[in-house]
Amino acid sequence: MTMFNGINTSASALTSQRLRMDVVSSNIANADSTRGRMVDGEWEPYRRKMVAMEPKQDFKSHLNRAAITSENTGNGVQVSRIVDDQTPFKQVFQPEHPDANEEGYVELPNVDPLKEMVDMMSATRSYEANVTALDAHKNLLLKALEIGR
Amino acid sequence: MELFNNSTNQLLETALNASMTRQNTISNNIANVDTPNYKAKKTVFSHELERAVDRAKLKAQQTDARHIPFGGIGQMSDGTQVKTRTNTMYNHNGNNVDVDHEMSEMAKNQIYYNTLVDRMNGRFNSIKTVLGQGGG
Repeated sequence: MTMFNGINTSASALTSQRLRMDVVSSNIANADSTRGRMVDGEWEPYRRKMVAMEPKQDFKSHLNRAAITSENTGNGVQVSRIVDDQTPFKQVFQPEHPDANEEGYVELPNVDPLKEMVDMMSATRSYEANVTALDAHKNLLLKALEIGR
Repeated sequence: MELFNNSTNQLLETALNASMTRQNTISNNIANVDTPNYKAKKTVFSHELERAVDRAKLKAQQTDARHIPFGGIGQMSDGTQVKTRTNTMYNHNGNNVDVDHEMSEMAKNQIYYNTLVDRMNGRFNSIKTVLGQGGG
């Protein structure tokens, strides 16, 4: 349906930004989780997750780009995958902790609350921008209904 | 004289479609504001020039309505063309979407669209008036 193309585009962005927000929430919620995953019988702390986004492509747009200079307007955005942040874990001296190693150090998740806050604000603003775009498109369609009234 | 199918009405219709295409492009740019390596697109209205260029190029034939149209310079039916915006600064992640620019373009486009609809209504209202006068 070409009529609602713009709305679908914005909707795909809203979905993606909400997923980003969910991932940020998960990161902040697990900022102190020392038992995120079992690796070789040892507990590994929670790893910070990140969202990778890419433009939504269909066959037609690929063909268009190969055959001619003009492109189509695009189909929105999608999340291609959720990746793990490979930065090292934080080491905190806490001998009384049940997950402390022999030297008394506990490995904490590589979650940086500052980074998460920045990411959260970015997702919020992008979400708002897309709501505005969706609203604009909706208004255009409503205005089109007024033709001939 | 054609009452409905005159050139002004067709022009208005073309312009409305073109404006909708531009809105789609802007929506897509805003949707991809956080996508790494995404390049912003723009819709250009270049009716006459592109038609002239189009005549000189080979066009693919469509024997079925469901075939994907291609060939020529990829002109859309309303005389618009979607191009990648290349004359702007790139972000650190290869993305060159400028939200402020997109938002102002969208505001302009909305007003433009509303104007076109108003003009269209104006024309229909004129016809209505004329029809109303005949009754005596």
